[in-house]
Amino acid sequence: MIAAILDGIVLGLQYGLLGVGLTLIYGLAGVLNLAHGQIAVLGAVVVSVQMGNGMAAVPAILIGLAASSAALLVVDLTIMRAVYRQSGETRILLGLLLMLGVAFIIDGILVWKYPIERLGLRIGGDPIAILGVKMSRGSLLASGITIAAGLVLVVFFMFTKFGLAVRSVIQDEQGARLVGVNPARVRTFVFGLSGVLAGLVAVTRSMTGPIGADNTISLTILALIVAVVGGLRSVPGAFVAGVLLGIVDRLSSFYIGTYITTIILLVCAALTIVIRPTGILGGSSG
Amino acid sequence: MTAVDETPTTESPMPPPTRSSPSSSIVLAYAPILVAAALLALVPLRYGDTGSTMTVATEGMAFAAYAIAFNIIFGSTGQLFLCVGALAGTGGFASAILADRAGLPMLGAMVVASLCSAFLGGILSWVSVRRALDTIFIGIVTLAFSLSFQNLILGQREWTGGETGIFVEAGKDTILHDRNPSYYVFLGLVVVYLTIFRALQRSRTGWAFRALRDDQLAAELSGVDVARYRVLAGTVGSAMLGFAGALFAHSGRGFIGPSTFSFGDVDVRVLVMLVFGGLGSLLGPVIGAVSLTVLDEVLIDYAQLRPIFYGSVIIVFFLGFRRGVVPAVTDLFRRRRRR
Amino acid sequence: MSSPLLEVSGLSAGYSGENVIRQISFEVDQGEAVTIIGSNGAGKSTLFKAIISILRPTTGSCCFDGVDITRLATHKISRLGLAYVPAERHLFPELTVIDNLHLGAYPKRPDPAVEAMVFEVFGRLAERRTQHAGKLSGGEQQMLAVGRALMSKPRLLMLDEPTTGLAPLLATESYTALGHLRDSGLTIVVAEQQVPLALELASRGYVLEDGRFGLTGTSDELAGNPEVQRAYLGVA
Repeated sequence: MIAAILDGIVLGLQYGLLGVGLTLIYGLAGVLNLAHGQIAVLGAVVVSVQMGNGMAAVPAILIGLAASSAALLVVDLTIMRAVYRQSGETRILLGLLLMLGVAFIIDGILVWKYPIERLGLRIGGDPIAILGVKMSRGSLLASGITIAAGLVLVVFFMFTKFGLAVRSVIQDEQGARLVGVNPARVRTFVFGLSGVLAGLVAVTRSMTGPIGADNTISLTILALIVAVVGGLRSVPGAFVAGVLLGIVDRLSSFYIGTYITTIILLVCAALTIVIRPTGILGGSSG
Repeated sequence: MTAVDETPTTESPMPPPTRSSPSSSIVLAYAPILVAAALLALVPLRYGDTGSTMTVATEGMAFAAYAIAFNIIFGSTGQLFLCVGALAGTGGFASAILADRAGLPMLGAMVVASLCSAFLGGILSWVSVRRALDTIFIGIVTLAFSLSFQNLILGQREWTGGETGIFVEAGKDTILHDRNPSYYVFLGLVVVYLTIFRALQRSRTGWAFRALRDDQLAAELSGVDVARYRVLAGTVGSAMLGFAGALFAHSGRGFIGPSTFSFGDVDVRVLVMLVFGGLGSLLGPVIGAVSLTVLDEVLIDYAQLRPIFYGSVIIVFFLGFRRGVVPAVTDLFRRRRRR
Repeated sequence: MSSPLLEVSGLSAGYSGENVIRQISFEVDQGEAVTIIGSNGAGKSTLFKAIISILRPTTGSCCFDGVDITRLATHKISRLGLAYVPAERHLFPELTVIDNLHLGAYPKRPDPAVEAMVFEVFGRLAERRTQHAGKLSGGEQQMLAVGRALMSKPRLLMLDEPTTGLAPLLATESYTALGHLRDSGLTIVVAEQQVPLALELASRGYVLEDGRFGLTGTSDELAGNPEVQRAYLGVA
């Protein structure tokens, strides 16, 4: 059982980062990024291709992250312009549907051109025992990276001027304009950041299992579930939700079964919306 | 001309005309349905000998039926039910299981299955109203339902065959399994559904739908029971989906599996069809269904590129012709007439 | 004579195709305090929103410090030195008072001297430095909104009904503070329903009725005008 919980934390940390990427874009722009998983896998596939061409892991990863980031930047600078001109529910709906279209396009390209490309980063070395459970180095490295990324995000949002500006746009876009913050520039930055986070999650996931074109949809759905349970506008909420859902995921998979596990996670998301839409932490923080 | 009732968006919610409207306007209102039906009835005359083409055409009619039902739920009352496939699938799988395992007569199984779908759809609507959910949250909850349904099908191998699916025995010896007759059955279903849609549009219920879709608060204040009408739309639309799904299960290949009613296979296609044909319009679903079916067949060699194509259609149409082809063409006609 | 700091000519704006304000023209010189009086629905907020580009004007133009701001984006107008405190305040509810103030100075670094001044003028805020803006009382939120606008060291401050929801004592305090700021050179345009305070602060004013400017004159003239007295000063 402890093994399942520890595995759950490892998984949960990554789920958290996945959810944060989605939450950032929704909180910022009111756009539900239904292509998040596709973007993540895009990054992973780029890494895999580069490594296949002989590049070392670290530079390949950087290029992969740049690729997923660039993809979202392109979407923001082109298709999303029409969305930003709208406001309220129209904006949300239009953004959602357009991202669905983007998801299909990216998915289609990945399945068409790179159907069997799989990224699997093998971390050599013996397992290390934590609380009496043998954890693979891959899991531990993945967790370490995720925690480090989380800390960078915390420092950025809490202690930098631009991070404060991002939070201001999430909380009150009009107010942000009034104090001189350019929401368009903030949105572009966040899209790029979200792309990096998506790619990073795909890379860390690949340390414990292969990631390829058939993981796109499941990653998008997971990101959505985590973000919803986190409250859709709360970055810390997404992180907490991710860890909790990761533990639920592992415990349920271990004791019950895979398909039921997915249903349980989906039900968590639906219940959150119906019972407590502000999510696990409540409030509309940024 | 059907123009008057075609505009899906902002129009002032005026009460419907009094009962003393001349019968000619009734003919005009339903004429497009007959025209479309007549045109579509010609299909087997041309392609009736090719089994594969007729299978595709029949499936196209089934999707048209799904799209009309979705048009009632989303087009008329703005409830973003991203679970069209799951509702149709509830009808399909429930009917198959009831008929084959529980021994119900096929028609009875279909009715019961449709009631199941209706019930689920009604609950989704009711919860959305009670919790005052925004469109996006309705979308997410119904999407969760859709994916849960998919996982339920995959997980309960004993009942649903899991990943391999099940063969549906009931219906094998009816006309539903005859190539051309089954096409006409589904065409008939489409005609019935179109008639229901048109009748709803012209009724007091349809006026209430338009009122609450355009401005929910204003509708409430003028006495429209928003909750009741949204649940009504959700229930009726879901019943239609369930019945169509059940009919589909008992016909054609007599086989249903996880991909028969999945989000990617049903919901997305229906969405693209409606986007293309025109959300909220009468014939939009049919035009969209026919267009997409034909296009899919023409591009069959490029089936791999289908997701890219669907994605592009969604993007282009939502950026450009936001209301779809049918309203755009209707607008053109109206502009022409004024000259 | 130097050119006016704010120049509005023939401005019309509204919602859903209907103009709420029609052909508004006025000027504000550097250092002036001007008030715009009008009842609910007269168009005061619409006017401000059109100037600061929250609303797109249908006709007319605005010029701030020689720069045409008619079509300029809100955040750019803010950076030029035109600060606006809307009736809805638009504070950042989950950020602290300090963070809200610091954002007011964006993109520049907050000036400690200005921050100190804000806390001195609005004493209550100093006690609530680290509280989330969403938890403040109505009056405190109003003070914070003004303080945040001041952090950008604006040349011109527009305030939309700054005393809404404030107890009379607090309202007077706020206007006293605004008076100090006016004396130190800040140009102020304030829209009010609570006319006496505004007329005391401003040197002249305009009466906005049905989307157009009607009466105009110095504060004394307006205060002495029987129509103004009847409509806005509660004098029979």
